[in-house]
Amino acid sequence: MINTLQEIAWESCLVEPVRDRALQSYARRRLGIPNPMIDYFASVPWLARAVIDLHPEYGLLMHLDESVADLIVLVVSQENSCRFCYAAVRAVLWAQGMSQARIERMERDLARSDLPPRTMAAVAFGRTLSRSGPVRAPEARQALRRVGFGAEEMKEIAFAAAITDFNNRALTIPAIPAHPVERIPDQIHMRLLRPFLGRIIKKHRYRGQPTALDQVPSYAYARLVKAYAGSPIGAVLNRTLTEMWASPHLTRRCKLLMLAVIARGLGCETCSLEVSEALENESLEQSALTQILSHLDAPELDPIERLLVPFARETIWYEPASLQRRARKLRGHLTDPQLLEAIGVAALGNGLCRMGAMVLNPS
Amino acid sequence: MTFVLGALLGLLLIVALLAGLLYRQWRRSATLRTQLDAAAKDLQDLQQACSRFAPAGVLQHLVADGVNSQIQPAPERKIVTVLFADLVDSTAMSDRLEPAVLARVLNGYFQRMSDAIHDHRGHVSHFLGDGIVAYFGALQQNPWQCNDAVRAALAMRAAIREYNVELAREGLPPLGLGIGIDRGSGLVGLVGSRERMEYDFVGRTVNMAARVQTLTRTHHVDILITQALRTELDPRFTLTPMPAELVKGFADPVVTYAVREGPTDAASAADG
Repeated sequence: MINTLQEIAWESCLVEPVRDRALQSYARRRLGIPNPMIDYFASVPWLARAVIDLHPEYGLLMHLDESVADLIVLVVSQENSCRFCYAAVRAVLWAQGMSQARIERMERDLARSDLPPRTMAAVAFGRTLSRSGPVRAPEARQALRRVGFGAEEMKEIAFAAAITDFNNRALTIPAIPAHPVERIPDQIHMRLLRPFLGRIIKKHRYRGQPTALDQVPSYAYARLVKAYAGSPIGAVLNRTLTEMWASPHLTRRCKLLMLAVIARGLGCETCSLEVSEALENESLEQSALTQILSHLDAPELDPIERLLVPFARETIWYEPASLQRRARKLRGHLTDPQLLEAIGVAALGNGLCRMGAMVLNPS
Repeated sequence: MTFVLGALLGLLLIVALLAGLLYRQWRRSATLRTQLDAAAKDLQDLQQACSRFAPAGVLQHLVADGVNSQIQPAPERKIVTVLFADLVDSTAMSDRLEPAVLARVLNGYFQRMSDAIHDHRGHVSHFLGDGIVAYFGALQQNPWQCNDAVRAALAMRAAIREYNVELAREGLPPLGLGIGIDRGSGLVGLVGSRERMEYDFVGRTVNMAARVQTLTRTHHVDILITQALRTELDPRFTLTPMPAELVKGFADPVVTYAVREGPTDAASAADG
């Protein structure tokens, strides 16, 4: 089950990789090592950059202990049954010197109750946010407070968990092949390169520095970005959202409708309100929006929206293979960039909404 | 000289003793690690075996929340849609068929119905004889649970029609299905005795769905929904109002609607 992710059914990949030297060198600069997975996202540059940038390990955390963040990423990837992300986390731990047996022991320890209380609370928070969404956020937040996490650490915990939810979906829905990553620890040349890989990865994992927002955002989820103002997280989220809104493959209204469906599905009132306000400027009557959010369809939707509104809903709770099959059905009706952008918007919506539940309602 | 030799021998003895102790400790840890690995493997196998007896989502909730601990996940009040399905005239069929054939027919029926429910985000809670109780919105927040439940019922109708074609090819009698659906508030969580617990939904909605299912015989239809469900349902479903009927356990007559057909989804419509 959650420990045997290599047995999780995984469809063949939905998108063709496109070699993009600029993106590859960007990934190498950020992560230190080549990342062939980026080629699958090349036709939607904002998504490719988001998959590279939105990683808690690489210069985004200022307060939270990195090892706690690693455990949150592992647990959330397990919860979401993301074979690719799970294998990637394991490969990074292996490259940094952990034996396979020790990684397995660590995974087992995650279910045990003798971990330090702070680690346990952070791991439980990641699980809860991923599994139950914002509905359980208040009690999860209380649990973090009880073990002594401060407000800034809690925001970083929310970011680590929610952004793993984003990455899991971005890699699961298009069924990015997991085998190459799963095989890394078994390959002779990788074993030989292991000490160098470990050193490079360690060198590129660093603490974040205070970072100012370039501009004050004015779109849906701007409040969330502002909540992270001063942290490198705010700057990266700001850039990702700005690029996502500017991307031409789907209309702004279509993206907002997908975000609205996800916010409703997860029961996040704050996020729903923010997205609804943005939709008012997109020539959509309130009655039509109510009909769309109640029944995932309405005569006011254009053909692409009619496909993507119900699809957004499918990304909230899912089984990988079943969601991959549903995404495959869209391929006949959308171009590759449209499909990828839809996947990116849905993945980002799931992450932002879970983050928003924790950060926008801190009382 | 003798003293130095004695001291050296003594030191060697102590080193040998320490080495022996360390080796024993190392062997013991290795054995414990092997046992722990075996226990973890057994646990995984058990989880996989258990998934045949409880929905996977339920099982993961229980395993992750630590069902064996003293603190069990607290039950929650939720609005859930309950689908109750039963075979029509199953007693007559069970009298006519050989036990092995009957078991095969019933297993085929249960599998198809469970798939239809699962495909529409429901989870089968129990099999009661040849009846099925399924919940929508119990495990996870689902604001679209009413539409999901009725779509599941329509998929069950289509699946039973296909299954009847297969049964007819084998010279077996067709199966008839009655489905009742209601929506309401109740308690979701682990309920039961110390010896046996179930992840269940407790509330009058379950009884109402069961009673509405019996009304399918009275009205000669296969899918009936309550007024409470209709209020939340997508208006594009084609419904026919049925006369109000008194049912056991409820004081007022129950208004129901027969479900004729549902709206086509966008992907199917685009496929033509």
